[in-house]
Amino acid sequence: MSLEIQNLHVRVEEREILRGLDLTVRKGETHALMGPNGSGKSTLANTIMGNPNYELTEGRIVLDGEEITEADPDERARAGVFMAFQYPATIPGVSVANFLRMAVNARREEPIKVKDFGAMLKENMDLLRIDREFTSRYLNEGFSGGEKKRAEILQLAMLRPEIAVLDETDSGLDIDALRIVSDGVNALRGPDMGTLIITHYTRILEYVKPDFVHIMLDGRIVREGGSELAGELEEKGYDFIREEVAAANAG
Amino acid sequence: MPADPAERTWPSPLLPASSPTWLEERRKAGLEAYEREPVPTWRRSGFWTTSLRDLDLDALEPRRYEPVGSVAELPAKVRDALDEEPGALIVQRGASTVHLHVDPELVEQGVVVMPLEQAAVEHEDLVREWYMRRLSEDEGKFPAASAAFWTGGVFIHVPAGVRVEKPIQSVYAIDEPGIAQYAHTLAVVGENADCAIREYCLGGDFDGQALHAGAFELYARPGARAKVAHFQDWGRGSVHDISTKRVEIARDAFVSWVPIHLGGRLTKQTLDIVTAEQGSDMRHTGMYFTERDEHLDLFTSDRHEAGHTTGDTVWKGALTGASRASYEGLIEIVQHAQESHTYLQTHQMLLSQKAKGDAIPSLIVKTDNVSASHGGTVGELDEEQIFYMMTRGISRAEAVRTLVEGYFEEVVQRLDDPGLEQLVRRRIGEKLLAAEDQVAEFIGQRAEAAQEA
Repeated sequence: MSLEIQNLHVRVEEREILRGLDLTVRKGETHALMGPNGSGKSTLANTIMGNPNYELTEGRIVLDGEEITEADPDERARAGVFMAFQYPATIPGVSVANFLRMAVNARREEPIKVKDFGAMLKENMDLLRIDREFTSRYLNEGFSGGEKKRAEILQLAMLRPEIAVLDETDSGLDIDALRIVSDGVNALRGPDMGTLIITHYTRILEYVKPDFVHIMLDGRIVREGGSELAGELEEKGYDFIREEVAAANAG
Repeated sequence: MPADPAERTWPSPLLPASSPTWLEERRKAGLEAYEREPVPTWRRSGFWTTSLRDLDLDALEPRRYEPVGSVAELPAKVRDALDEEPGALIVQRGASTVHLHVDPELVEQGVVVMPLEQAAVEHEDLVREWYMRRLSEDEGKFPAASAAFWTGGVFIHVPAGVRVEKPIQSVYAIDEPGIAQYAHTLAVVGENADCAIREYCLGGDFDGQALHAGAFELYARPGARAKVAHFQDWGRGSVHDISTKRVEIARDAFVSWVPIHLGGRLTKQTLDIVTAEQGSDMRHTGMYFTERDEHLDLFTSDRHEAGHTTGDTVWKGALTGASRASYEGLIEIVQHAQESHTYLQTHQMLLSQKAKGDAIPSLIVKTDNVSASHGGTVGELDEEQIFYMMTRGISRAEAVRTLVEGYFEEVVQRLDDPGLEQLVRRRIGEKLLAAEDQVAEFIGQRAEAAQEA
């Protein structure tokens, strides 16, 4: 299984944010997509999930050979694509446990048995070192930044998607929370999941080693490489890359 | 029986043959006010109007019904709503009390639940002491009407120190058109007593008009704790409900009051909760869900008459169809009521293009050293929340349903009563299902509009 993004052009409020982006994430691979603020990282994540506020003007999104460019977000999710939000919505009156049950059942023919769900929940909460009482709270209501991110990763763990997009999951986390979240992602990584980590900083990549690194500027991927590229970026910074790209274009 | 109650001979043949003189006097005062007062039209801020011009008052009359031996013989809607094992149950259909059951255990504890008519004779001193203590026939045509014409009625007395586990339930039912129902409930929860009272207003799905003009008064004596719920679901019949409900809380007493409005062609209600003495505390949590062409106009007040009193008011509403709903909530802190702390929040959610509503909190504070604040929102479902849920594989329709149910959940949980909670959740679900297409259309249109903007 793979997620292929081909020549993606996306507008938000009349402004073209993505300007011909290509990217392929296969099952079993971990990709890091890095870029400064405003480069279009979150736009890419939202477009992959089909957020109606993002207008796709050109290009295709193909999941496992099937085009999902026009599919509704829930269809994409049921087909195996997941996104951990940078700023997840609050769902008042719906407990974490109930929300998870709905989400798990959305991908199944028959509703999951209460006992099986309980066991699965416990296992994943242990993995992410989440307290039992967490699941009876309303989803994201009054959650700290770290709790929100953990709730996102808990959903990832419960849903076991084929393709996971983590949109700035590392932002706003202290080092302990970052470690817990990274441990979770590492535990979930494997031959059955392709992961796209979207981030501004290289920090999370010290914990979750990517197979591929892509650097994005102004709506396009401008450099690609292995995990060593993250180190280079850390050393030189985005401005250096920008100048390098400008020079190459001029030449 | 003349059609217009104002024209009937006094005393009405529907009224009990023997009533204490003081009560007769009070009825007369009610009749005078009724004859004096015009049928009102309520206007606020120039754009919100509640008018009774569609109500054919002259065509309505009180109607008698024969008593029934068991709950099984009550209209289906009543049977469905009730708890299986109440501590007490009193049912008024039209103008008549048709069913009364009080658990022997409660009788032994000295708890009184009976028609107010009967209590005015059998517990005259008690009724006389509290009857209309905080209600007045001079508040308008309909308060005057219920003061003059109420029949049957409900009286609840929980003696001092008595704790009643099972809920005390009263029901006002209208299951036929053409009925004018004048209702009066008086409840006194004695010192340090503890109980749960639920009052239901239930209507059938008939064709035609009916009127419920109701009065409810509850007095929580010092140290008492009462859980009070009002469950209104008048059904599809064209029931006009014009009622005043008032709760007074004495020193160190606590009342949690949860009014639930789930249906009625036209509802105009005033709900007041008074923390009257030091240390009194209240929680007032209400909801409404209007649909079709329903019109709801609610005014609530949170009045602090003494210092060191606390309050917490939350009202939530949702509107579908071409319904109208207005909520106005007032916090009032009188002079000398220092160290009062209270909060009022009101939320309203529009689920249809044609629905119109407003929610207005306001504040009158006549002293210092208090904390009183309010907040309100009038909004629509958040497209971001819907998107978020859809990215988890949940369909748009299920996301919308879940979000509305979740929105009301805060209120539902404050019922703190599993049976009633389930009933309310079921009704919310049914209403959402009935409105599913128009809600989806509305949300879809909004999403498109947002994209174009």
